[in-house]
Amino acid sequence: MPALFFNIIKILFLLLLFLFLWQIARAIRSHVGSNPGARAEGTAAELVILTGESDTDRVRIRPQGHVIGRSSDADIRISDPYSSEFHARVGMQDGHVVVHDLGSTNGTYVNGRRVTSPTSVTRGDTVQIGKTILEVR
Amino acid sequence: MTRRAEAGLIVAAALLASIGVAIVEFTNGDWLDAQVALTFLAFAGSFGGIHLATVRWAPGASSLLVPIAAFLTAVGFIEIYRLDSHLAALQRWSLLVAAAVGALILWLLRNAGVAVLRRYRYVLLAIGIGFLLLPLLPDSWLIHGATVNGSRLWVRVDVPATSRVLSFQPGEVAKVLITIFLASYLAERAEAMALVGRKLGPLKIPEPRHLGPVFVAAGVAFLVLIYQRDLGASLLLFGVFVAMLYVATGRSFYVIAGAFLALVAGFVAYSSFAHVQRRIDAWLDPFAYYQDAGYQTVQGLFAMGSGALTGSGIGLGRPDLIPAAPTDFIFAAIAEEMGLAGSLAVLAGFGLLLAVGFGIALRSRDRFRKYLASGLTIVLGLQAFIILAGVLRVLPITGLTLPFMSYGGSSLVANMVIIALLLRVSHEERL
Repeated sequence: MPALFFNIIKILFLLLLFLFLWQIARAIRSHVGSNPGARAEGTAAELVILTGESDTDRVRIRPQGHVIGRSSDADIRISDPYSSEFHARVGMQDGHVVVHDLGSTNGTYVNGRRVTSPTSVTRGDTVQIGKTILEVR
Repeated sequence: MTRRAEAGLIVAAALLASIGVAIVEFTNGDWLDAQVALTFLAFAGSFGGIHLATVRWAPGASSLLVPIAAFLTAVGFIEIYRLDSHLAALQRWSLLVAAAVGALILWLLRNAGVAVLRRYRYVLLAIGIGFLLLPLLPDSWLIHGATVNGSRLWVRVDVPATSRVLSFQPGEVAKVLITIFLASYLAERAEAMALVGRKLGPLKIPEPRHLGPVFVAAGVAFLVLIYQRDLGASLLLFGVFVAMLYVATGRSFYVIAGAFLALVAGFVAYSSFAHVQRRIDAWLDPFAYYQDAGYQTVQGLFAMGSGALTGSGIGLGRPDLIPAAPTDFIFAAIAEEMGLAGSLAVLAGFGLLLAVGFGIALRSRDRFRKYLASGLTIVLGLQAFIILAGVLRVLPITGLTLPFMSYGGSSLVANMVIIALLLRVSHEERL
């Protein structure tokens, strides 16, 4: 009896080890799935609004671009008191996503750096408008 | 993965450790006692503490690192407890201290971020090299070096007015400091170092003046080898340096030159030092030196062989026969009692840890953070590789601890610092 008993404990313990690893591997997989960098190139880029209030929380970037601002006429309207009426434009140029600042009062920041000229961004970069942070995915 | 899932996995790892301890108690014929509860508390307290520090000071950090580290520590701890319950009790305290140091790092960097480390890089380098040299202090001093098993890599502090002695291995911390220095040095110099000076056949050779650091690294590693007789640390330092140069420049020249220098150094060491010669001879044919130099390797091989597929069961093998089983040879002890299945679980754990570490490096946009994350991951990976290869007889045996798993406070603290820095880097990518 004891030999069989110890064998069962042994196997159960090993199963426990692999159960734990399985959980971690699953977590990594869901992590990678949501990681913008891991997605195949060529899929349309999206703009995801990470913080702040807006009508939408993600927009697929269209070739003609979007104007972002506080005005109700902006393509992406954000209710952020630090944003200008028409604050910035995000569009496509030669297959790249490009951010233009539209002479806003508080400036547009790409990865924390203020941009004054049209700036090309890639997946994973953040764009800050007022207090609102958007990420390119 | 969410923070909540991370907390769940940490509790699971703590449970795993205490279940292992319970199995050891049971096979010893004892009934459950306070050890099981203390183990659970130590794991939940230390890794839970790191978790809370992350939530507080680095909320954007990867939630995968801490559970994997907890898993590896748990499996190692079970085997340490099975080998020597007194060492295990000390290891529990080390774990709490290590977690406190990790949390302290997260707190210190909470505002300034890892970028502040760049400013102090020469200070860090000086401290790192100072730590490497610390074991050379003469025996009569209050703080002095100590020679253990022929290697001089311990520092002992005689606490005044008591007979207590504090001992630690400064080399463990030095490797982290030197990695931080390298990351910040390369963040500025990598472009120049990647420039091709001329071509030698298919090999692109960088301009000679950029080669200085390679020789400096080789020199430091060689000095460690000669004065401290520490083969493992010397190989680790040199390997990390070459790997980081390759990561930063993408030039295979550095790898080839590094391998060549290592071979030359190895040959010189083999022909001029008796202790190196013994190690290599015992590596090539351990059974011929079964009585002395090859004894440890042979016992390790027997242990792994007798473990077979599922092992003898925790507490039912004889891993105590292997010299240095709780430290250098912890993997052989695990392979004996948990079998191939258990050892593969350990290897998978290290694989996942490296995958997460390099993932953080890949996502980093800033050069310094990218090199820092890859360098720290390389330290963990290379250290695990060197000691595992020694145990498995792929390389000659060199004394190094298996990260997170071996018994040893200095090692645990250094590895927890690495985890804290990686957490911080991954947090900064989410800002």
